[in-house]
Amino acid sequence: MADYAPVDLTAENLVSFELNGEKVQAPAGTMLVDACHALGVEVPIFCYEPRIGPPVGACRMCLVEVEGMRGLQTACSTPVQPDMVVRTTSELATQGQESVLELLLANHPLDCPVCDKGGECPLQDRTFRFGPGKSRFHESKRHFLKPVELSSRIALDRERCISCFRCVRFSQEVAQDGQLTMQERGGRSEIATFSGDAYEARFTGNIIDVCPVGALTSIPYRFVARPWDVTNTPSVCGLCPVGCNTELTLREGVVRRVSGRDEPNYAVEEGWLCDVGRWAYDSADHTGRLHRAVVRDANGARETNMADALSAATLVLQRADGPVGILLGPAATVEEAAIALDLAGGALRGAVVARLGIPAGPLAPLRATRRAEMGDIDDAQTVIVVGGDPSLQQPVVELRLRKAALRRGARIVTVGSRRTGLADVAEHVDAAPGALHAAISDIAARIAASAEPVVLWDEAELAAEPAAADALATAIAANGAARQIELGQDPNGAGLRALGIPATGLRDALAAGRLGALITVHADPRSAPGRDAWDAALGDVPVVSVATHVDATTDRATVVLPSLTLWEQEGTLVSMTGRAQRVRRGADGPDGAAPGWEILIALGHYLGAPPAYRTPGAAFAAAAKAHPGLGGLTYDDMGTLGAPLPPPAADHLAGDAGESVAAGSAGLALVAVRDVHAGRAAQGSEALLAFHAPAAARVSAATAERARLTDGATARISSPHGEATLPVRVAPGLPDDAVFVALGTPGAAPESLLGPDRGPVRVELRP
Amino acid sequence: MPIMNNVYRQRAAEKPLVTLDDYRAAGGYTALPKALADVEPDDLQYVFMRSGLRGRGGAGFPMGKKASFLPKDSKKAKYVVCNADESEPGTFKDRDIMAFNPFQLLEGITLAGYAIGAERGYIYIRGEYEHQARVLDDAVRQARAAGLLGEGILKSTLNFDITVYRGAGAYICGEETALLESLEGKRGQPRLKPPFPAVAGLYQSPTLINNVETLAALPPIVENGADWYAALGPEKSPGSKVFSISGHVMRPGNYEIVLGETTLRELIFVHAGGLRPGRRVKAVWVGGSSVPVLGEGHLDTPLDYESIQAAGSALGSGGCIVMDDSGCIVRASLRLATFYRHESCGKCSPCREGTTWLEKLLMRMIAGEARMEDLEMMETLFGRISGKTLCPLAEGAVAPIKSALNMFRDDFVRVVENGSPRPEPMMAGA
Repeated sequence: MADYAPVDLTAENLVSFELNGEKVQAPAGTMLVDACHALGVEVPIFCYEPRIGPPVGACRMCLVEVEGMRGLQTACSTPVQPDMVVRTTSELATQGQESVLELLLANHPLDCPVCDKGGECPLQDRTFRFGPGKSRFHESKRHFLKPVELSSRIALDRERCISCFRCVRFSQEVAQDGQLTMQERGGRSEIATFSGDAYEARFTGNIIDVCPVGALTSIPYRFVARPWDVTNTPSVCGLCPVGCNTELTLREGVVRRVSGRDEPNYAVEEGWLCDVGRWAYDSADHTGRLHRAVVRDANGARETNMADALSAATLVLQRADGPVGILLGPAATVEEAAIALDLAGGALRGAVVARLGIPAGPLAPLRATRRAEMGDIDDAQTVIVVGGDPSLQQPVVELRLRKAALRRGARIVTVGSRRTGLADVAEHVDAAPGALHAAISDIAARIAASAEPVVLWDEAELAAEPAAADALATAIAANGAARQIELGQDPNGAGLRALGIPATGLRDALAAGRLGALITVHADPRSAPGRDAWDAALGDVPVVSVATHVDATTDRATVVLPSLTLWEQEGTLVSMTGRAQRVRRGADGPDGAAPGWEILIALGHYLGAPPAYRTPGAAFAAAAKAHPGLGGLTYDDMGTLGAPLPPPAADHLAGDAGESVAAGSAGLALVAVRDVHAGRAAQGSEALLAFHAPAAARVSAATAERARLTDGATARISSPHGEATLPVRVAPGLPDDAVFVALGTPGAAPESLLGPDRGPVRVELRP
Repeated sequence: MPIMNNVYRQRAAEKPLVTLDDYRAAGGYTALPKALADVEPDDLQYVFMRSGLRGRGGAGFPMGKKASFLPKDSKKAKYVVCNADESEPGTFKDRDIMAFNPFQLLEGITLAGYAIGAERGYIYIRGEYEHQARVLDDAVRQARAAGLLGEGILKSTLNFDITVYRGAGAYICGEETALLESLEGKRGQPRLKPPFPAVAGLYQSPTLINNVETLAALPPIVENGADWYAALGPEKSPGSKVFSISGHVMRPGNYEIVLGETTLRELIFVHAGGLRPGRRVKAVWVGGSSVPVLGEGHLDTPLDYESIQAAGSALGSGGCIVMDDSGCIVRASLRLATFYRHESCGKCSPCREGTTWLEKLLMRMIAGEARMEDLEMMETLFGRISGKTLCPLAEGAVAPIKSALNMFRDDFVRVVENGSPRPEPMMAGA
């Protein structure tokens, strides 16, 4: 919870005023609470939450004395003015603060010993500091049934609620899902949903973070730990490329909770998390977690220990008939990738290193245009979203865009084949699937006509249309003040590219029989887009797989080396805006597993050419020296909030281009979305049961009818790349002649329909 | 039949003026044509200002001054909102003005709209006033048909129309910013001020919001001139005011009096017919329930803003509630506490929790379960609430009870010692 807004005390327009007898300075117009906080004077608050919106003055906790104004003022809504005289600790102010706390506590159950919030509770803390110290309330307290399930993930204890309205305002003004409301009035006020149904939306968990009492608690975290027997570690979410800064709560070596940070990263997520990022941590332990190493030979697969498996892997690699390939997955860390590159230059000299992702070549000019960070959206008057659907793929982006639209009236324009999750706040420019190029002159005109526009663009859709990507790059460059944010696909795509790792080359080398073995690092090519091509290329090449969970690649790998997940191991991820941020070690993970970086270093040792470092920090330091893309950063530079990498040059990875396959015009356009709600983490999380849904091919009613399919029927879908069988869902708001699928859902294989280098695809839909 | 002979003239007092013809026959709709023909909007605002008319909803803020706060250079649409959410206990003056003289209100709102440059007026009427809402709806229809509302009113360039909007039953919606929230379709809760409605009111646009009685006073002021109105009553409290009198009096009802010319005693004993035989005045809440209570010793106070304030209370809405010596002041205080607890919107903590606490304390006193310390506790509780809240509702809860405890401490001590038995039901006409 970010109780106070950051204040820049070094700004130029400071004004002087008197605070508790001392002459101080703060920027004019800053709210008194924030100025006081920045100046080291605590003014207690409950309802004030600058991230949610303007002050509402409901809780009355922040009463202070301002000379010349009658009575007491709420410091949350009183701006700093030159020469004002403020007293936050005078007898009058103290009496005001005590009064409000005594009244707030009158009906509060004071069940702190059995309250999850106890020990990290603002009501407790502020009562301790500012409260009257003694209760005089002898009447019977207000009673409610407690707790009730506000949703499958959030428990609501109405007795503890102090009606600060933060959760309601979050729902109404930040997520704008319109679901939460205050019901009844006066002392009977209670938080509820309008419909009476569960509060199910994409960002609900944030109301737990903003609740200043124990009224809203996480059901999966309920009664799991006390604040004094946990450790909190700042980390970064690795489920999508936004790179939200998180805090991991650990107890007994297990991640028990993920929450937004008390000190949010305003350049990135501003403290808000999506529900997947908040609750999917339990998926680390779901079915399929690799607890022990596996070695597969003619006699079948056997589980073994890490040392044994490393020996086996060493044999595989040493006996390889040709150079080795190393394939890095979309969330492999910078350290893992850098070590892989070092192996390719040392122990596995000549190894071909690639990443599993979208070729960078067609997007190189676009990526070289002026970059923005998420925080820059706050100042933009015009935001243009070209392709994609951030609500599903990079969820927290949606909140920034909503904030810009609602609070500042910024103009949001979405361009693409369907109305996105932003439909209610955005103006929409329609472009048929795979035909962004048709809208590009319109987009360019809007960019040219806007003062300081921020352009968000979808990696997958623009990579499929290189001409449109070039035109967009030209338009952004032409407006000297325009900036862009990539809506990327891969949690560490930018980090892998910064190391110069291409997406192409490796599969061709495999297919041509030039490679003798393959190491996969958090990569599952047999389930990835173009999986059929990967299967064909892999053939019988022996595979050493560094992986966290069982997947199609580990199922056939010669050696499986079980790795820790991003909730368990150290590393660095580079967000889609180019911000390098540290993932910190959280849970212990299975005894038989090890960090990916450690496994790779060990491989170097086993192969007889160990790298010169033993820790991820040292590996990163070596990488920062070797790779200019990392801008010479150190762990210290990154700190807890990360640091931006230098922008890539216009010819960076320009040669990383896949085969350009013309899609032709027959059949239906295929739109593949990397929906985090449909991915393995969300679908494997018990907490996120509400998001569990079978994979489906979503089409418009007319498209279904033309293919003689009804809602729920099974469709056979075929493309030049492969075939897939999926149930059909008829959905409103989709264009005709297009099929929408989500990538990454376990048990479904729409990835077969795609080419390994992505690009436009047309499919046939049959019953 | 209410007695409103002056400003709210029942010129044809025999029947309500609910048809346009009757209202015209009684001299209505002479002010609007006059203003449209002869008076510039800014000059009309000046007329309001010079008349000295003060807001009749309770706060008594000068109406013309309020209108002058609207920004002149705003590009946003401006609105006139008529506060007809008359919910103050003991107050029922607006009810009769709307039921018996709806066109005078419409004419007044139209004049205000012309003066500030608005094209739209809203009457936010208390939900329970179903009859009055129908009367107003019908009057609006008649006025539109006659070209008195709509586009090009009376062939002038003035476009102005009025919408009648019914509240859903919440006292808090009489507070102007809560009213605006409710009118916008939101939960009726007060807004943080500033900004004030004059700057950011309805739909965040400049808004003039006034009580029914205030706006209905405008036609006679325009008709007879600001000087005429200013000359009625004392200098700082000019004009006439309708008092709703209820409680232990023989003729409860609405009485229009010129401010400063009538004492509280005359209001009770002459206009309202006095008390039941053998009874004496125990307590009077002279301006609705939200004002400090007055006692028998205050009866000779003239009814105007300054005099009543000097006596320690407030003229408020003019809803005068009289209790004779058969009533228990502690029970009456509990009844008020219950009202404010029930009507507290719950937005700000001191009001939400304070009114709940106050009611529970008084309930214990009535039940004879309180101790003497509870009286001191209650006194400090007033200080815990007062001056801490977002809007004046809680002040309205504190004022009558705090003053009752001051004025009738002996009664409270007796009740703490013995409780307060349920009184005999009052017989009709007894």
